[in-house]
Amino acid sequence: MALNDSNSLYARRRWRNRLATGLSIGAAGFGLTWLVLILLVLVIKGVGGLSLAVFTEMTPPPGGSGGLLNPIVGSLILTVIAVAIGTPLGILAGTYMSEYGRYSKLTMVVRFINDILLSAPSIVVGLFVYEIMVAQMGHFSAWAGAVALAIIVIPVVVRTTEDMLLLIPNTLREASSALGVPQWLVIRYVAYRAARAGMITGILLAIARITGETAPLLFTALNNQFFSWNLNAPMSSLPVVIFQFALSPYSDWQQLAWTGAFIITVAVLGLSILARVLSSKKVAQ
Amino acid sequence: MTSLAIHTNVKEQPPIPATETSGELEDKVSVRNLNFFYGDFRGLADINVELYKNKVTAFIGPSGCGKSTLLRVLNRIYDLYPNQRAEGEVLLDGQNILGSNFDVNLLRAKVGMVFQKPTPFPMTIYENVAFGVRLYEKPSKSELDGRVEDALKRGAIWDEVKDKLDASGLSLSGGQQQRLCIARTVAIRPEVILLDEPCSALDPISTAKIEELIDVLKKDYTIAIVTHNMQQAARTSDFTAFMYLGELVEVDETSKIFTNPKEQRTQDYITGRFG
Repeated sequence: MALNDSNSLYARRRWRNRLATGLSIGAAGFGLTWLVLILLVLVIKGVGGLSLAVFTEMTPPPGGSGGLLNPIVGSLILTVIAVAIGTPLGILAGTYMSEYGRYSKLTMVVRFINDILLSAPSIVVGLFVYEIMVAQMGHFSAWAGAVALAIIVIPVVVRTTEDMLLLIPNTLREASSALGVPQWLVIRYVAYRAARAGMITGILLAIARITGETAPLLFTALNNQFFSWNLNAPMSSLPVVIFQFALSPYSDWQQLAWTGAFIITVAVLGLSILARVLSSKKVAQ
Repeated sequence: MTSLAIHTNVKEQPPIPATETSGELEDKVSVRNLNFFYGDFRGLADINVELYKNKVTAFIGPSGCGKSTLLRVLNRIYDLYPNQRAEGEVLLDGQNILGSNFDVNLLRAKVGMVFQKPTPFPMTIYENVAFGVRLYEKPSKSELDGRVEDALKRGAIWDEVKDKLDASGLSLSGGQQQRLCIARTVAIRPEVILLDEPCSALDPISTAKIEELIDVLKKDYTIAIVTHNMQQAARTSDFTAFMYLGELVEVDETSKIFTNPKEQRTQDYITGRFG
């Protein structure tokens, strides 16, 4: 082959390589631009409304002064209950799929359904819980909201738990079984320990996911203008309050909505960073 | 041996008569007409072999010949996989371990195994060793400390780790990790130790340490070692079995296998003509 030919071939390849690199960078930049813009708007509009009153006072009537205490506490309560329900179920299901039933038909079916649930629109989950809980009980309640959020938590935790456990080399399971360790102890003391960071990351991601969910709460926990510990009554939450206040014509409500959105974003960002730190620790191990 | 519940049923067994040919040898493990299947594929065909008490038996042969498979039958670790099954008999002190009524966890406590790749658990060095001990006994803190120290000494790694028992087992070098795994296996006081290419991932110095260790350990244990390294088989073992394509071609005293094998295939393999 003539040297010139191979040179032009090489030049063409280099040109294609540059084109592909340029397109990739452009796409990444395009995506990032909007993210940064959203964050910027949130910071500009949200930070201004931050004050002590936001964290200590109830949501105000239109024109009055107030804060976001009840939705913040409501969101925390709903999240804690949802995670308390969803995490054990998700971990147990993921454990079954990876450790006990790895080769069973049931696992394949559950994995398929779980993947559907993972991408199911959250408003469908809200309507489902409305049908089975709110309509049956005759009133909106925090319980219904927490269950709706738990249904969103479960598939995330199932998926990460299974994935993380599947990453553990079989040699480690064999090595502990070879000591005469019964399977449930292998799982508890060896598999869970090796997968711990990844499993915790999954739970944090699930929390981050439900922190911003509005649709499942609209039909379940609804909203509450007042502070409430009563789980059988409607409960306020940040996303629903943001939804309501942002759509209102009152400028002080709109300001509170911006502030609430900012608080949620910071919380989710913090959780994501924590998840990243934990999963990178696993790699360092 | 102390209060290990697992040993009680063994003591009642009548002693196994030694083979006729060599009066001192005592059968520890007898493999009889063993066939092994991965799904429909037959990985082992009619294997018959003895592991003699306090002797080292090496299994050599080209990759895929079934030597690791045979080892994995001896502690039934293949049980973890649903499509693998064994037919025939494997007698441990006269009891068939393949019988469905033989408790597999108790079997594995008696027949320990060290794998090709070091597999420390994600725990401290101390916990790596103590973990198995606690499963079968309830030692006091000081007893447990003693057991851990003893096992780490038997694993020839005590001097290197005695000042950092709380460090993660994963922080050790590959050779140290492998000796930790041997210590972990020894700690639960097994009777048989299976070594599945224990040195193939290690450097020559670590390999030498483990070979010395095998020589010491055989005073108390019956040892089976799978190796690709024929010098290692010659150095460490009393008996050598040559396997080929799932069959056991020949087994004899190591010196005979390496100097005067009966089978042509053995001769070809040890002289490097194939494999």
